[in-house]
Amino acid sequence: MKRNFFIAFSVITIVVIASGFSYRFQQDPKPWPVPDKNAKAVNPVKSDAESLKTGKEIWTKHCQSCHGKLGKGDGSKAAQLKTTVGDFSSVEVQKQTDGAIFYKTSEGRDDMPSFKKKIPDEEEIWAVVNYVRTFKK
Amino acid sequence: MRVSRFSALLILLFSVTTVFGQVTVDSSAVSTEKPAPKKPKPVKNTFESIWIIDNQTVLVPVKGTFEMDIIHRFGTLETGYEDFYGFFAPSNIRLGFDYVPISKLMLGLSITKANMTWDGFVKYSLFTQTKGKFPVSLTYYGNMGVDTRTADNFIHTSDRFSFFNQLLIARKINDKLSIQVAPSVSHINIVNGYYKTSGSVADSTYESTVEGEMKHNHFALAISARYKLKPSLAFLMSYDQPLTKHPTNNPNPNFSLGFEANTSSHTFQLFVTNYYFITPQRNNMFNQNNPATIKSFNDITLYPQNWLIGFNITRLWNW
Repeated sequence: MKRNFFIAFSVITIVVIASGFSYRFQQDPKPWPVPDKNAKAVNPVKSDAESLKTGKEIWTKHCQSCHGKLGKGDGSKAAQLKTTVGDFSSVEVQKQTDGAIFYKTSEGRDDMPSFKKKIPDEEEIWAVVNYVRTFKK
Repeated sequence: MRVSRFSALLILLFSVTTVFGQVTVDSSAVSTEKPAPKKPKPVKNTFESIWIIDNQTVLVPVKGTFEMDIIHRFGTLETGYEDFYGFFAPSNIRLGFDYVPISKLMLGLSITKANMTWDGFVKYSLFTQTKGKFPVSLTYYGNMGVDTRTADNFIHTSDRFSFFNQLLIARKINDKLSIQVAPSVSHINIVNGYYKTSGSVADSTYESTVEGEMKHNHFALAISARYKLKPSLAFLMSYDQPLTKHPTNNPNPNFSLGFEANTSSHTFQLFVTNYYFITPQRNNMFNQNNPATIKSFNDITLYPQNWLIGFNITRLWNW
């Protein structure tokens, strides 16, 4: 009797302690369809030194904390998010059009904030798109 | 009518010439206009916070920005370890909320612990530095402060009010360095008075008038600078020079040095300063913390006991 009680108590204690160290698994993001009109939008900002400089400044301030310095999805806040951040150097991201990347940056979804109000100048968001292209492997 | 071979040749030649004349492109009809040059845009990020230590900056955030400010000043370093260099001494705190309802216009409301001062402010960006158009950015800042301590501190209700008006003039020198110059005028409705006497009772020439220990209006000039060390880290400097000479209790200048760290939604500033009051008109008029005496470049006496540590935290939301 006493032995059974001890075993039961130990099991319950281990389960309770272990649950304190448990962590939520991140989910992969759902597919993110982009309206045709936005996907086909042409980037009006030439990918020159000035645009890349602007894009990098904005990336460093607004994006790097989650997406990481080189877009690998290893930013300091990435682990806290419900969904995985993804690797911007991957084919999956780089094959998207400039318009699609612009749309997702501007509109946001779930963990990804919308930046259209914080960065009202669209040319700056296009500059970020140009900078994201530099992550390509 | 018989057409001679020569005439036929002429007709043919004329026709060909005419045809070719119709086909030939008239180069004068082609537009030689160069594409219209891109309109220069106002410079961005002269400063990345509305504060630079104790002063405002030219920055007015984008329309729809809501901002919360937590401003803290610890005690002076005077008693050293006893109060852990001012950290455990009486502090001054400001809690503020600001909003940008329309482009270029910011409105704010805050309460500051010192004298339980509520202040409402207006900040308007008159123009922003733009290449070929404006060499500097110019912003107006004005506030009204209300001392909300108990009524026994005042004779009239109007004694509670003070005002501050400042023009902020800044230039982004390059990607790393921005400088701001900001003349200001502070107005205090009530100042302490003293009796100024002259003559003598004996010969009936005695006169007594009430004079103010200070003038009601005070002019000052602030010079501030921000130097970017890294994309999200900057060095800050600010100097406030009183310009008005008062009969007594002349305020001391202020010298501040510190650092600023920026993220997408937050700005953190940590610094050493001499200004304790936070409310700008009180800082400018009543600062008794003298940072140093400078007699010459070779004769500078610092007074670290009059310095204090402070921080500003701003958090913004874009609605």
